[in-house]
Amino acid sequence: MKRLMVLVLVLTGITTGAGQLRADDVADLAATIDQRISARWEAENVVPAPETDDAEFLRRVYLHLTGKIPRVSEVRAFLDNPSANKRRELVDELLESPAYIVNFTSVWRSLMIPDAEADRQLANDITAFEAWLREQLTHDVRFDVMVRELFILPRSMPNNNNFTPGTPVEPSPLAYLRSKQNKPEVVAAQVSRLFLGVRLECAQCHDHPFARWQQKDFWQFAAVFNPTMPAVEIPETKQMVKAAYLNDEDAKRPPGTTIRDHFGDWLTSRENPYFARAAVNRMWYHLFGTGLVDPVDDFDENNPPSHPELLDELAEAFAAHDFDIKFLLRSIVASRAYQLTSRQTDDSQSDPRLYAKMAIQGLTTEQLFDSLAEATGFFESNADRNPLNINDSSERAKFRQLFGNEAGGPVDAETTILQALALMNGEFVESATDLEQSTTLTAVAESPFLDTPERIRTLFLASLSRYPSGPELERMVAYVDLGGSTDDSKTALGDVFWALLNSSEFILNH
Amino acid sequence: MLKATRRDWMSMTAGGLLGASMSRWMPLLAADTAAAAERKRSCILLWMPGGPSQMDTFDLKPEHKNGGEFSEIDTSVPGIRISEHLPQLAKQMDECAIVRSMSTKEGDHGRATYLMRTGYLPQGPLRHPTLGSLFSKELAQTEADLPNFISVAPYRFLSPAAFGPGYLGPQFAPLVVGSAQPGQNDDDENSLQVENLKLSDAVNTAQAGARLQLLEEIESGFRAQRPGVAVNSHKAAYDQAVRMMQAGGAAAFDLSEESDETRDQYGRNRFGQGCLLARRLVERGVPFVEVSLSSAAGNAALGWDSHQNNFETVKSLSEVLDAAWATLMTDLKQRGLLDSTLIVWMGEFGRTPVINANAGRDHFPAAWSTVLAGGGIKGGQVYGKTGEDGMQVAEKPVTTPDLLATICAALGIDPQKQNMSNVGRPVRIVDPEAKPIQEVLA
Repeated sequence: MKRLMVLVLVLTGITTGAGQLRADDVADLAATIDQRISARWEAENVVPAPETDDAEFLRRVYLHLTGKIPRVSEVRAFLDNPSANKRRELVDELLESPAYIVNFTSVWRSLMIPDAEADRQLANDITAFEAWLREQLTHDVRFDVMVRELFILPRSMPNNNNFTPGTPVEPSPLAYLRSKQNKPEVVAAQVSRLFLGVRLECAQCHDHPFARWQQKDFWQFAAVFNPTMPAVEIPETKQMVKAAYLNDEDAKRPPGTTIRDHFGDWLTSRENPYFARAAVNRMWYHLFGTGLVDPVDDFDENNPPSHPELLDELAEAFAAHDFDIKFLLRSIVASRAYQLTSRQTDDSQSDPRLYAKMAIQGLTTEQLFDSLAEATGFFESNADRNPLNINDSSERAKFRQLFGNEAGGPVDAETTILQALALMNGEFVESATDLEQSTTLTAVAESPFLDTPERIRTLFLASLSRYPSGPELERMVAYVDLGGSTDDSKTALGDVFWALLNSSEFILNH
Repeated sequence: MLKATRRDWMSMTAGGLLGASMSRWMPLLAADTAAAAERKRSCILLWMPGGPSQMDTFDLKPEHKNGGEFSEIDTSVPGIRISEHLPQLAKQMDECAIVRSMSTKEGDHGRATYLMRTGYLPQGPLRHPTLGSLFSKELAQTEADLPNFISVAPYRFLSPAAFGPGYLGPQFAPLVVGSAQPGQNDDDENSLQVENLKLSDAVNTAQAGARLQLLEEIESGFRAQRPGVAVNSHKAAYDQAVRMMQAGGAAAFDLSEESDETRDQYGRNRFGQGCLLARRLVERGVPFVEVSLSSAAGNAALGWDSHQNNFETVKSLSEVLDAAWATLMTDLKQRGLLDSTLIVWMGEFGRTPVINANAGRDHFPAAWSTVLAGGGIKGGQVYGKTGEDGMQVAEKPVTTPDLLATICAALGIDPQKQNMSNVGRPVRIVDPEAKPIQEVLA
């Protein structure tokens, strides 16, 4: 049917060039995804959950692409937009927004240098690394080019040593190798996990009887990252091994280039079967919370993908589009699989690897803080309009301390007591629900043209990005009109806002 | 519903899920947990980040040139002698078993900290839980008013991953109080309070109850439609937070309830007051409390890492340690709690017997000491032995898993029990090769 449409368009001369036809690659890849995913549903007798309504889709895609929830005005505009194509239009818009750059800077940073945070000596390098990531994302640098740069040693070291807050730093990816202490075995282990999706480091100490990678493979690969010579000694043995890539290809290099330059070429080559697969699997995980191969860094014969053909097809399409991450994101979020509701409507939907409903994901510290800031009108939330401005207010720093998983990864979908206490009684939510301090609440409570139901609706839109259901609205209106527990309807409105901001519906991406 | 009266509203909330707990907003007296029949064991870990010098605490060599400046003193157990700067503890040696033959291989702070605090070496993506998470999971009492694992003044920078719940997940994360920050020098007792445990001044208890009721109404629909770990853990965390707020939770952390005399005995410093807090928490049934001593001044310095001026630093740290630890044992004994409370003293490694050019001692994992005391331990003994110069273990070497398996045995935990890890394979609480030290077990 689709082919027929294209044929008709071509024959009638409506299209203006090949470029426009290629634009449908997004829809084609989305269709491929849905074909593969639904084939498994049929095979496993799964009844998939229904598609999301617009509000559920809007909040989810905002969190995944921009790292925060939409504003009230954005929710209203989207819900009122009559366009049949509005979901794709929205995604196009979000991918070009500064918030996308800020969000993916944070995503790549926590993947590439998770170990940097703990090392205070790297503070300046982290700042330079973030600046480098923003630069890459601003210029839409393709993923292979961006990754290759991580391994190229700059001819001159940027002078970021005299960093003072507020002054711009020279962008540099150096933190990547520095955070691994430039140790060959640490770099090798991290590179193989992140960019190849394999856990080589288990072979660091000894051979495993059933694993594909042996100790020698690991140290050959590690030798690639030895800054002094392309060889390394296996510890506690006297054995020297020469640098070699994982396919046993000798790590030879043309004169005048560093082995790391050459490594980048090998890593990102289209012949490398791992690179594109590992990348699409990461992005799939980012959007679905479960990788096609899961854990995401454990590509292994004993851990096969849930949808092997789909993984291959995604990887091929990604490589064919010059490793364009945005193309990948655009295609996956256009799929029906991504646009299913997270409500469980049938018992057969409980296996996350069948993608029969959307998984519930935790927010990262950044996502949670930025979403709270957005919901409550915290004044610094505008800072990301300028991607060069790192929004690191002291409030955010406090938040990071409390919610930050110290390993730098996303906050688990589970809640801790300290987090619950912070959201219940902490200053930030408290001032957000206090009439004298809260931007959002004051605007809602003081506007003379709003009646109680409209006030409640606005608070729901600000926090949960949806309208209240009928019964919810009735209950909240009753509570507010009776003055809550304090005989004061404005304070009662603050109580409603408090409850919304403390709800799991607010704290989770679903 | 829109026409509901105030009375309808109140009766509605009273009948809700949170109704029962709302009626408990009056402060309750803490239950006398010591008297409870089914009491499980508790563990207090005295964690010494940086690696304390065994040569200047529990394994002195006054006859040898490696011995250094300190003298030995007699203890309450004939034949056992320890540092002159631990005089109060010396009087309680009959409760303590000194292990002088720790022998490990990790001389790097980060890896050694990870090893001693999780029982395993870092293995790529496998996120090992810290001991407090592993043990409190086994010792936990359900529906407790206080969390099962409380960490006082942790010094996490050497190996942040060694202080978290790892693959066990946030449900088993420690409640952290008094976390030391770089550049902070804070002996203030308030620094051991749980943050955000009290209602904001602007909110009264009736309002707090009403808010929770609203929350429950919003939650219930979402929870019914989206069953699973994420939503359940939200409810569990909020329920526990509310229980803590109501049921004397804050009172447990209020050290001003103690007499000035008691507080002075523990020492008016972060570690001393932390040990007092540990006693109060164990009294209330908390199964695992860890208290870290990183510097005598109570700041974020890494005191035990005595590469320079070893003797000066170890002396001042010993004074802080001695008062707090000895008072803790006396206090627990007076309350009948010492028999059910295991106290573990350890750091990530020991220090070189040879004194360096800066009057310091460097990292030394080959032969060093730890101490076990109290519940489950046969006190009044030394286990293992180092050579005359302190450079090697001469008798009965003890590995990290051996020590941890011994701790498990003293606590009544099966060290071979498995938990499912984040990489999809089960991992035992302690490495299966571990051999518990039978001689030190009561």
